[in-house]
Amino acid sequence: MSERFKYREDREVYSAARVRALEALLIKKGIITDRTVDTVLEFFETKMGPFNGAKIVARAWVDPAFKERLVADTPKAIAELDLPDGMAGAEGEHMRAVANAPGLHNLIICTLCSCYPWPVLGLPPYWYKDPTFRSRAAREPRAVLAEFGLPISKDVEVKVWDSSAQIRWFVVPERPAGTEGLSETELEALVTPEAMMGVAVAKAA
Amino acid sequence: MLTQFEHFAVTEMMGKPDSPPRANGTLCFGSDWERTSFGIALALAKEGYFEWDDFRDELIASIRAWEDDHPSDYSSWNYYEQFLTALESAVVKTNLLTTSELREIFDLGNQASQ
Repeated sequence: MSERFKYREDREVYSAARVRALEALLIKKGIITDRTVDTVLEFFETKMGPFNGAKIVARAWVDPAFKERLVADTPKAIAELDLPDGMAGAEGEHMRAVANAPGLHNLIICTLCSCYPWPVLGLPPYWYKDPTFRSRAAREPRAVLAEFGLPISKDVEVKVWDSSAQIRWFVVPERPAGTEGLSETELEALVTPEAMMGVAVAKAA
Repeated sequence: MLTQFEHFAVTEMMGKPDSPPRANGTLCFGSDWERTSFGIALALAKEGYFEWDDFRDELIASIRAWEDDHPSDYSSWNYYEQFLTALESAVVKTNLLTTSELREIFDLGNQASQ
């Protein structure tokens, strides 16, 4: 084992001190400021991520007319909400929502990760890009969903949507039973990225 | 199509050997130094101090070197340790810091962890 990778008990402390020193030097030289890191990461933490999709779905749950508009013209409906710029435009401009219903379950897959509806769902999980997942999900979606712990009964139709550079799909899961008394904000917390991919359903907390 | 640099940078990494850890649709940082390392690299590339792809080449090389050194035991793996190594290499290669400044950084790290 080389010196470079020698095991250190104190790796956390060592790495933390190096990053602190590196950041301080770059600030001292005027290359970055003490706000730079927060500013660049705000994009992921507050602007583009699964919390946007959760807002869209929660609104669809409380407002059936919005849900209809969302499925009919997704970017236009999203633009009604107070979400960050670029949600309905830029990467989101070809976004299409498909709604689960009694008797219908939707699943999204994508051939290229760059086609993932990132502004709404956040970052794709590791297995999503796996060619085996993609090809099996297209060929035998019920078997794959069962492996995800989501057996779909025979009388429910399963539709698979393949995202592409042209259209990025996301799923509006069904509102879970027993959530009638929850506020829109409380409902947002029940919407997971997996539910918006169709590999899970939304559950009451 | 207008794409934010942050979006471009991270989606480029998806499904590649340098894919960052993530959970529930978001980037996943185990501690503050990991978050800061990521933010510095992204900010420097965004400002044009180096190409994101060049930084990623460093990162992939660093990950590969670690894997070659740990053929069977991945228990000590930490993505952001390789990320930090790649970042240090990138700032020296692009002359943002000198090698002696980098040595100072290592010294401070060693002092802190003694």
